[in-house]
Amino acid sequence: MELKGRVWKFGKDVDTDELFAGRFIMGGDETSKSQYQEFIARSGLSDVGHRENVPRDFLTKVEKGDIIVAEENFGIGSSRQQAAETLKFKGVQAVVADSIHRIFFRNFWNLGCPAMDLPGISAEFETGHEIVINLRRGTIKNLNTGKEFEFRLIIPSWFIDMVEAGGLIPYHKSLKS
Amino acid sequence: MTLVEKILAKKAGKKVVRPDELVEVSVDRAMIHDALGAHTIAKFRELGVEKVWDSARIVVVLDHYVPNKDIDTAKKCLNIKKFVLEQGIENYYEVGKGGIAHQVLVEKGHVLPGTTLVGVDSHTTTSGVVGAFATGIGVDEMAVVFKTGRLWERVPGTIRINVEGKLLPPIMSKDLMLFILKRLGVSGALFKSLQYTGSTISQMSFESRMVLTNMAIESGATNGIIEPDQKVRDFLRARTNHSFELIQSDQDAEYAETLEFHADDIKEPMVAVPPKPSNAVGVTEVEGTRIDQAFIGSCTNGRLEDLRIAARILKGRKADKFTKVIVIPASQEVFKAALAEGLIATFVEAGAVVGPPTCGPCMEAHMGILGPGEVCISTANRNFQGRVGDATAKIYLASPATVAASALKGKISDPREFFREA
Repeated sequence: MELKGRVWKFGKDVDTDELFAGRFIMGGDETSKSQYQEFIARSGLSDVGHRENVPRDFLTKVEKGDIIVAEENFGIGSSRQQAAETLKFKGVQAVVADSIHRIFFRNFWNLGCPAMDLPGISAEFETGHEIVINLRRGTIKNLNTGKEFEFRLIIPSWFIDMVEAGGLIPYHKSLKS
Repeated sequence: MTLVEKILAKKAGKKVVRPDELVEVSVDRAMIHDALGAHTIAKFRELGVEKVWDSARIVVVLDHYVPNKDIDTAKKCLNIKKFVLEQGIENYYEVGKGGIAHQVLVEKGHVLPGTTLVGVDSHTTTSGVVGAFATGIGVDEMAVVFKTGRLWERVPGTIRINVEGKLLPPIMSKDLMLFILKRLGVSGALFKSLQYTGSTISQMSFESRMVLTNMAIESGATNGIIEPDQKVRDFLRARTNHSFELIQSDQDAEYAETLEFHADDIKEPMVAVPPKPSNAVGVTEVEGTRIDQAFIGSCTNGRLEDLRIAARILKGRKADKFTKVIVIPASQEVFKAALAEGLIATFVEAGAVVGPPTCGPCMEAHMGILGPGEVCISTANRNFQGRVGDATAKIYLASPATVAASALKGKISDPREFFREA
């Protein structure tokens, strides 16, 4: 399974309050998928103008299929799944980081979006670079520099099937009890 | 094996597990609260399953947005109550009956040594205080746990935090935890477990230990845990009819790392400067910083011993005229005990507002939200930018003693001056 996209370079310690502020957690009608997705997409990274670890024009210019490459400790903090959902609904298809917090790591995969940690990877990318990730081979390539990197993820064997199914919930629905 | 490895091995039905091995474990307890409960239920319904795997193993606590602050929060809580009734979930705590989920789970004896607990909340790690594997997950995974009663986990290697010596009042376990985080950083324990050992921990009260397991998550850890001892047995005896054993790490357990600390090295009360819990400095370094709000409460520091030390400082004194002082007991049980001891009267007399046992202004949820440029000193666990309101507000984390002393002066203050005569 291959993912290709344009890179947004994030800094370190991007936390879940930053990705999705507490004041929006109870917003959005979780019983209506379209309304919920629209609300979650709109509400994420609301204070980004005050932050140094997210590019200033990310919110206005992010497009479907983009990939975040971040420094260490991406997604530290709360278990609020909206922190992962808002990135997905804004169009981000994958996150690559020097290190990733456990709950965010699980939440993002569960949405059908791969998250890969590889120490030092952030130094190899800049915003605007083209990145190709091969999940089954375990490689990340920077098309601008031509450099390729290998990663080894500690994930259950069914995780890539889950991504192909569209996430944890659709994957479980597809299982025959 | 270490304590956490032994628990995960047992719950995975394996003889041995190793760090970073993937296991599938049975879940003994699953907790949802109002902030993410309705989302969990929506996902569970999407799975198309009629009944949860075991309604007796689910605990539901309303603590973030109660009493409901608006129609949205009321609707979500109604959805949760409907689900609780439909599924026959007995362990349901409406506002006024329980308190903060992490406190309620432990207080009501819902978590036992050697068991597994998952919650839709990162501070689920708190329950590791009884010697359980307790950790946070998202709502999609919780929906699957509701269906299957099982969870996959990457076995965390154990970082042993060994602390020797005696903490002298007003230095509290919060000061110790901030001191530990200063060394460990906010990503020092990613996919690892923190196990606290040493004479300081064994001498420490059960309540003080909860601060350490609660804030283990702030180092990025999967969980925090302490070997259960007689204090844990005594605490649980009156709270559960279930039997349990005081499971310990093996003598030859292998630790990923051991970090040694000594209580004597904590020279003064600690304050975590925004925007990270690991930005700890001695209180004298930030003494005099003007504050707008002082908050004593949360799953980190809203217990009886916390209220006692705050009341000792506030008794017979008045809080600063321009400072909002908010005191919130972590549970109804704590609230009742504080009432009986006269602590609540002390807070009210001092000019504090005492809130109902809920999460309060630990996060941007319900009340005590900060406006532009406001400064809050808080006993809670996170001081990320925008955590409790406007992105330009600043949050300092400290012990209940330091927060109480600061409330009196309207600026960050050293609580030691209230202890000199003792």
